[in-house]
Amino acid sequence: MDKYKVLIGLEMHCEISETNTKVFSSAENSYKDEPNSNVRPVDLGFPGTLPVVNKEAVKKALMASIILNCKQPEFIYFERKNYYYPDLPKGFQITQETKPAPVGIYGELEYECNGEMKKARINNIHLEEDAASTDHYSRYSTIDYNRAGVPLLELVTYPDFRSADEAVAFLETMRRIYQYAGISEADSRKGQVRCDVNVSIMDKDLDETKEENWGTKVEIKNVNSFSGVRDAINYEIERQIEAKENGTYDEMEQQTRRWDEASMTTIYMRGKVDAIDYKYFVEPNIPKFKLAESWVEEIRKSIPVLANERKHTYIEEYGLSNYDATILVKEKSISDFYEETIKLGADPKTSSNWMTTVILGHLNKYELEIKDIYLTPEYLVELINLVEKGDISSKQSKEVFYKILEDKKSPSEIVKSLGMKQIGDEDTLRPMIVKIIEEHLDLIEEYRKGRNVFDFFVGQVMKQTRGQANPSLTAKIIKEEIDKR
Amino acid sequence: MAKFTEEMVIDYADKLLIGLTDEEVKMVLDEFEVIDKNISLVNEIPGIEKVEPMTHCLDDFIYELREDVVEESTPIDDILANCDSYLNREVKVPKVVE
Amino acid sequence: MKYMTKSIEELHALLKEGKVTSKELIKESLERSHEVQEKYNAFVTILDDAKEVEVTDNLLSGIPYGIKDNYSTKGILSTGSSNTLKDYVPFFTATSIENLEKAGAVAVNKTVLDEFGMGGTGTTGHTGTVLNPWDKERMCAGSSAGSACAVAAGVYPYATGSDTGDSIRKPAAYCGIVGYKPTYGMISRYGLFPFASSLDHAGVLSRNVKDAAIVIDNMKGIDKNDMTTWDSKDVHLYESIDGKVEDKKLCYIKEICDIENYPNASLELKEHLENFNKALEKCKKLGMEVEEVSVDKTLLNALASVYVVISCAEATSNMSNLTGIIFGPRGEGDNYIDMMKNYRTAGFSPLIKRRFVIGSYVLQADNKDRYFHNAQRVRRLLVDTWNKLFEKYDAVILPVGSGPAKLLDGSKTVLEEDDTTALEEHLQIGNFGGFPSITIPDGFVSNLPVGLNITGKCYDDANVLNIAYALESVMDYKDQIAKEVK
Repeated sequence: MDKYKVLIGLEMHCEISETNTKVFSSAENSYKDEPNSNVRPVDLGFPGTLPVVNKEAVKKALMASIILNCKQPEFIYFERKNYYYPDLPKGFQITQETKPAPVGIYGELEYECNGEMKKARINNIHLEEDAASTDHYSRYSTIDYNRAGVPLLELVTYPDFRSADEAVAFLETMRRIYQYAGISEADSRKGQVRCDVNVSIMDKDLDETKEENWGTKVEIKNVNSFSGVRDAINYEIERQIEAKENGTYDEMEQQTRRWDEASMTTIYMRGKVDAIDYKYFVEPNIPKFKLAESWVEEIRKSIPVLANERKHTYIEEYGLSNYDATILVKEKSISDFYEETIKLGADPKTSSNWMTTVILGHLNKYELEIKDIYLTPEYLVELINLVEKGDISSKQSKEVFYKILEDKKSPSEIVKSLGMKQIGDEDTLRPMIVKIIEEHLDLIEEYRKGRNVFDFFVGQVMKQTRGQANPSLTAKIIKEEIDKR
Repeated sequence: MAKFTEEMVIDYADKLLIGLTDEEVKMVLDEFEVIDKNISLVNEIPGIEKVEPMTHCLDDFIYELREDVVEESTPIDDILANCDSYLNREVKVPKVVE
Repeated sequence: MKYMTKSIEELHALLKEGKVTSKELIKESLERSHEVQEKYNAFVTILDDAKEVEVTDNLLSGIPYGIKDNYSTKGILSTGSSNTLKDYVPFFTATSIENLEKAGAVAVNKTVLDEFGMGGTGTTGHTGTVLNPWDKERMCAGSSAGSACAVAAGVYPYATGSDTGDSIRKPAAYCGIVGYKPTYGMISRYGLFPFASSLDHAGVLSRNVKDAAIVIDNMKGIDKNDMTTWDSKDVHLYESIDGKVEDKKLCYIKEICDIENYPNASLELKEHLENFNKALEKCKKLGMEVEEVSVDKTLLNALASVYVVISCAEATSNMSNLTGIIFGPRGEGDNYIDMMKNYRTAGFSPLIKRRFVIGSYVLQADNKDRYFHNAQRVRRLLVDTWNKLFEKYDAVILPVGSGPAKLLDGSKTVLEEDDTTALEEHLQIGNFGGFPSITIPDGFVSNLPVGLNITGKCYDDANVLNIAYALESVMDYKDQIAKEVK
């Protein structure tokens, strides 16, 4: 590894999930269990049907283009990518391949990898349509066209990543951008994100800014999770280094491989000579659309606050650690929840502690999303306030938290039903403590000799209050009463 | 640019998922010769490379993009009415090997 | 009985006066359909159960018409004259046909075309050759062969057509009738089976200019399902025809019309051009200025090849949806590739298959610039040339083809070249630029009808129709019905 440099480029496909309709058809854009239940004639390629471009999909694509600091085209238009496959009903995919068609070209994005800021250059980002989904059985396959025509954004980077870590960190950044900008859920479990990765290695002492120094490019198709991307890259680097070491590297041709999740290997698909000629040409059914400067500006202004900005606020204004802030912005739903609690008056640090420890711990343990549990920002704030007012102890609050989820009740209801309310007023506690101390005056003597009698008194108070005495107040009164004698 | 050969005609036809008879292959090449000759003349038009290819009839066309409003899905009976092979609600094909 | 030879205006008046009923018209039209099918093989489907409709103030209400079989019609077999769709019954109707239905028009049959509109002979449809009603040994031309034949033979006053190169306007000339394709995007293409989308136009075949205007008024309109359509609600073609043409200016092109271009001209070609010149004289008598202009011969010579390159490229892609998976008869095969290939090989006629290969070749990455993009560049040069002419002239007037309908025997579907290429193919310029373009009959050569064409600038349909109407009015070929001359 020390002898080589690695060049990695990414093609990231992400479905735009946040539109009502598909990109070229007014069928609903949503995942449905029932096959073929959101399709229009054009999604099935019936003769005479025509694509009609969804304004909202273009808007979201342009927003991504702006965020990636790309140049937007003067005219938006589309092209056909022609090939035959059973999941492609028209026999071509409508896409944007040739510049200047794409919604964005030549951009760059800063991202953080292991605490360091890096920059990746974007070749282009374009809007296209997804294919149908196919189920395979032992002797036949079945096709469900619900996914056919779902808007898809394809992002193509330059080979600017030097490690699997960088590539994955970039992808994570992009995923957050799509989520925070309201473009997509970007959920790879739903198959919304798919990647192609290209990997090549070159001798370490050569200048990587010169293309002629680059090694043979190997493209790996259809990697459907970020962990898969990491594994595929690392596998491919090893494979290529081995070829260098055993002298077979020069025989290696430019090729396309696919990532096989089961064997955790890449498998040869085709070489350069077998590359498919997709016969791209401009889609004649979609007139060139003049992109108004004013619309681009309007979209630019409507970009929501993204993860990095939020993180900045958390650190600078709320005084959170970089570590906690990073965790909070990782998922938009978590960050939104957190911000809601702040709006409701929670102390940012306290709320952050709850989020990063108890809540995320629970979600991760059971692989849940925040929307899946019965906790609302209002309830969390209520819970925090109960502790702060001293109504319940912080230990009790954890118990209340799990009870909220279990019983689906509000924090105050839980506290009431468990009879948990803390005794926090001095007028109740002091006479009780005075009485206990007077019953055990011998211990005061021991105390003066240096024995720790504190825990005993606290224990007695807890016993009499069935654990509901406010611990810190109890301790304070005990100390005062002992010192008086 | 490679010359258009019989092998290429057969290869293209194959990729287009159509079969051609020997006679048809020859006819393609004959027709193509006419086109090629004319395109050669076109290539000699001064400044041709600077002309922007015309992809649509109406260049200056102004129109609105579609509003994002859902229309109802085509009923399953209509979808499958002309399909010769399906299983429940899905279209069935010979096993697609990846 | 003998209503189906009348014009739309006449029929509407008769219906309104109660002298005839829609039911009677439909009955006559269906009977005539069967006769014409017997003699000339013009139809894929005859709709024997066609129902009469209420006669309203709409000129088309209650009157029978024909639909070219590449328009999608709900519940009615729609084949595109191809074996690939020989059993296809769509569940939706083309927007333009829906518009005619709303007007009260009654479809009585679906007409034969060259497979998917590709071809100009009327010989490549899956139900066989359409014969010319003036002479059964001759072709109707295509691709709207069945529609042209039926309108000329008096089955009904009009039928829809589609026009990618000249598919309405050439058969109209060969059958002695009117063929009109309006400006691109005036009529929705939704539900029209595509051949080459950037060139495809919907349109009509009729026996006079006003009828054509009435039909297009009812077919047209912006359509949310076709992004290339535009709002034409302020366009009223029929109402705008007034026959006033005194200040109009026409031009014709020397490189196409001058007999000197054709040293080996046949007698028919000579007569055809002489006939055209007579029509020009009539234009002048109507008070129009007519001038000869000259255009670059290189562009004209490249015309046919440019058309083939663009149309084949778009066609090969447009017809990639024909795999037999969701519709069409399933092909045999143990794997999906064999299955699709068997379906496509059996379903498409040889002509289409050859064109697919050419279309595929010109789109290959290595060839695309030389063939496809250069063809698109010449398309622009030709369109620019014509638009320049339209700066000075209201319309370009030219003869259609090199004479009357060609003999079927020995007819060719192969692209060949001779000195009449530009004469035969200039109508394609109307498709390159989306120009409104109309063919009207202008006389007879060898006892067979011949036609001329008038093409104007985009969105100027009313002007083009008005000129055609004025010229039609001073010639004797309006409303003519084919009579077999042999």
